[in-house]
Amino acid sequence: MKPRNSVGSSPLASPKNSLEDWENRLIGKTLHATDTGPTTFCIKDLPGERRIIKPNDATTEDYIEERLNVTHHHHHHQHNEKDALTAMPSHTDDDESETPFPTLDLHVSSRLASGLLSPDDAFPPPHRAPYAGDSASELGRPRLRRLHSDQGGSRRRKRSWKKLMWVKQSYPDNYTDQATFLGDLQRNPRLKPYDFWPLVADSTVILQHVCSVIIFVVCFAFIFQDRVSPVSIVSWSSGATVAGWFVWEYWVSREDQNEDPSSLGTSVATVVVGRSGSLNRRRTRAASIRRQTPLRSESTARYPPSGLSAPPTKLSLTDVSANSSTSNLSSAGRPPPTTVSTPSLRTRLSHEMLSSPSETIPPFNPGEINHFHERLGTLKSSALIYSTLLGLSPILKSLTRSTSSDSIWAMSFWLLVINIFFFDYSGGVGAKFPASLSTNAALMASTVLASRLPSTTQVFSLTLFSIEVFGLFPVFRRHVRHQSWQLNVALTILLVLGAGLGVGLVVRQREDGGWNWTSGIVGMVISVLLAVVGTGGCSWWLIGLQKYKNEIRGPWDPARPIIMNRQRWDDK
Amino acid sequence: MARRRTYTVAMVSDYFFPQPGGVESHIYQLSSKLIDRGHKVIIITHAYDDRKGVRYLTNGVKVYHVPFFVIYRQTTFPTVFSFFPVFRNICIRERIEIVHGHGSLSSLCHEAILHARTMGLRTVFTDHSLFGFADAASILTNKLLKFILSDVDHSICVSHTCKENTVLRASLDPLMVSVIPNAIVAESFRPRNYRSSPRAGANGFQPDPPARPLAPHEMITIVVISRLFYNKGTDLLTAAIPRILEEHPNTRFLIAGSGPNAIDLEQMIETNVLQDRVQMLGPIRHEEVRDVMTRGHIYLHPSLTEAFGTVIVEAASCGLYVVCTQVGGIPEVLPSHMTTFAKPEEDDVVAATGKAITAMRAGQVRTEKFHDQVKKMYSWSNVALRTERVYDGITGTISEEDFYGFDIGGYNGSRIRDFTLIDRLKRYYGCGIWAGKLFCLCVAIDYLFFLFLEWWFPRENIDVCPDWPRKPSADEGSSSVDGDAKRASSRA
Repeated sequence: MKPRNSVGSSPLASPKNSLEDWENRLIGKTLHATDTGPTTFCIKDLPGERRIIKPNDATTEDYIEERLNVTHHHHHHQHNEKDALTAMPSHTDDDESETPFPTLDLHVSSRLASGLLSPDDAFPPPHRAPYAGDSASELGRPRLRRLHSDQGGSRRRKRSWKKLMWVKQSYPDNYTDQATFLGDLQRNPRLKPYDFWPLVADSTVILQHVCSVIIFVVCFAFIFQDRVSPVSIVSWSSGATVAGWFVWEYWVSREDQNEDPSSLGTSVATVVVGRSGSLNRRRTRAASIRRQTPLRSESTARYPPSGLSAPPTKLSLTDVSANSSTSNLSSAGRPPPTTVSTPSLRTRLSHEMLSSPSETIPPFNPGEINHFHERLGTLKSSALIYSTLLGLSPILKSLTRSTSSDSIWAMSFWLLVINIFFFDYSGGVGAKFPASLSTNAALMASTVLASRLPSTTQVFSLTLFSIEVFGLFPVFRRHVRHQSWQLNVALTILLVLGAGLGVGLVVRQREDGGWNWTSGIVGMVISVLLAVVGTGGCSWWLIGLQKYKNEIRGPWDPARPIIMNRQRWDDK
Repeated sequence: MARRRTYTVAMVSDYFFPQPGGVESHIYQLSSKLIDRGHKVIIITHAYDDRKGVRYLTNGVKVYHVPFFVIYRQTTFPTVFSFFPVFRNICIRERIEIVHGHGSLSSLCHEAILHARTMGLRTVFTDHSLFGFADAASILTNKLLKFILSDVDHSICVSHTCKENTVLRASLDPLMVSVIPNAIVAESFRPRNYRSSPRAGANGFQPDPPARPLAPHEMITIVVISRLFYNKGTDLLTAAIPRILEEHPNTRFLIAGSGPNAIDLEQMIETNVLQDRVQMLGPIRHEEVRDVMTRGHIYLHPSLTEAFGTVIVEAASCGLYVVCTQVGGIPEVLPSHMTTFAKPEEDDVVAATGKAITAMRAGQVRTEKFHDQVKKMYSWSNVALRTERVYDGITGTISEEDFYGFDIGGYNGSRIRDFTLIDRLKRYYGCGIWAGKLFCLCVAIDYLFFLFLEWWFPRENIDVCPDWPRKPSADEGSSSVDGDAKRASSRA
């Protein structure tokens, strides 16, 4: 409170009056060396104790009573430096001048402008405005005096309050310093306002996923009603998956070509070298610490598409096999690692080696071999999944025979809801097995749904189809979004139309069991309308809700540590 | 001068001995010092294992261990009303005037404050911790705190940052929140080779011995004592140690404490083969802290959030130069010649520690003087004195103008919280659209419950227990009483 009313509460009566006086005489004038006129003011007429602060001048914050501070403000005129002046008496009741007071600039009514909050802002209701005007401070002053005389004794002037606890201060414990209280508070420090169209564009991710879930359910309904042969569904989808895989391979290889071709070989070699001994490893790691910093962003960006380890399309089975194949590769040509480490640690190590350039690299180019191995692994694992499913299908068929269908519908509904809500919509291209809860829920839903089907072929087809829809298709969608914007839009439209058509065909069928195309088209129209209203409306709503955002940050929040080489310890 | 008024105070918290910790020792030391000043203090906490019923600690501190169901980390299950009958009984038996709750996560404390207000007692709340505003747990806790603190007579925080936080969390009037720091028992944290009166020379004006710079080959030990949790900055520590040791030969680390992140440290030690330079002592008791600290030269405190940071005061008192992260209330705690501050970043922690090591080697830091300086800064007698002023203020011993002097005219012209039910309901109603109504409901039921208890267990039937003989109130600022605390901590 003290700094705020230091103008009014000055022990001398004169400064306030003289301040107003000087204000009238100075503000809006141009300083001139010699003469005083209607628009100019002579410097010599200023009082002896004065200082003139030009824009961007460095000033000390010491306060000298009776000194007049004159502040220049430039108004950019061509011919002469036309300055608006702000008069300001500098005054303090603190001899030692330890902590500078906030500048009492009459020109800017400072507090809100500087982002400081007063404690009043912490109250919900506006109880009072005690510090607003001079009257309030005049009212509070006699009390203040008395309190001071109680505590301070003979000292007429007090030291300024400091936000410190180790000094004994003459202020009571509940003293609240108006200048510094809540000074470090930030509101919405990282607020990025949303724009409408980007938001709509981003929401296509959700739309795509919801539509693919709907398409899956529709396919199940077709199979369940015996309207479509399960074999045809699974062969179409498998064909699409294989095609998608080729497209994906093409994209990945194209991206690889854009990168430095030697980097891949280098990093593989480093893995091998680094693993051969712990001493060597340590040195390389130390080197990586020092050199890593400039390289890091580049290498992490490069890492996911380089496809050294399992490509993201594969399920966990594949990952394991790929992992083992890499370790076979390394242990074949090299002596076994001297230190025993867990597989996870080893992979971590290899990551870290990846990012460090090494000096001792045997020049060979394993990129092609690597790709070949990778494809082989993919084929192997897909064959494995295929045959496992084939073997499991009879068991799955009778899995829930003792459960009533109603429970199954309810359960699969909730599982699919979980899938939609916990899906990793933000995951980029490099994300490996994101949102395991979501994927697992979807696979479980498809399993229980499949167990309703009467024949083994149907069970097998539906399960395989679900793996393609819930396991592989999201990866493909991510790559599509990464690759091209038009493709993404096209895919979205295709999915929306497909879902609408499917739902339309399922809900109404002709008496003779044929396809009711009218209802299908109606479904398409409705789905398009729903999609537009849903994405547009929700985006608009979200933007509207932004004004309620009130995030408070301050020194009490746990700091977020910045650690340079964090990936050494946890890979996340 | 008129005789100082004394009070009967009940400290209520879930956290108390035998559990170790900052809140626990705060309550004990404060109670002990208040008793020295002639007040009567009892402590109410929940039962710890077989520690039930009434116990006496040193200095006549009476502890009620109320049997209660503990859910998580010694916090009792939050039942809004079930504590009331026992609490009322204790308050009447002990003729309590002021109920002083500690710890914003302690549901026992919250219940006690609510019931105390219903019974017409004055209440004080001490907040020991910082909370954010972002996550769900904080939002719930903050709402609860708002509920409790909207009717409390006065709050105490342990640092100015903590005060800002509490004021924001519970929408309080800042003048109704005092800042009273923690303290340490300086006698328990003496440096090694400490002579109690360093100036016992012939005339008492002996010049200080010159600083002795450490030789470059002399080993500098950096001590870290903390629970190894994420929010204590163990990740920073794990990342910084290898780099510090690499850049500075003849340094070593001494790490005490345990926790989930200890495994990271061990892994770091093994990966970098630092077994001979980093020693991990595992968990240590509070009594051993001083002995560990005096083995080192620099204390490194990489915490990410800290309301006060008593441990850095302890370290400085032991004559260690302190390197700490600039978070929470830490920048307020120690003067700059005792500390080097770092941003909570790996690079900055490494740089600050490097600076500290260089300063130690150059002999620029007079660590041997730290103990006496810290002793002057923080003492529990001072804390008790300042707490007493809060008690004076809320009971009206100090007039309202004196207590809230420099800004008169708070809520409706007065900050004295009267006990009329309708006024209390008004205060609670402002807590939120839905929460306000819910809180009002709770308070109304609490009041009905109180009436029922008054009828079922009449006041006249409750015995009043005899007091422990009160000490003649000590003089202002006498520091001779500090020694009791050390003895006290040994006995339960």
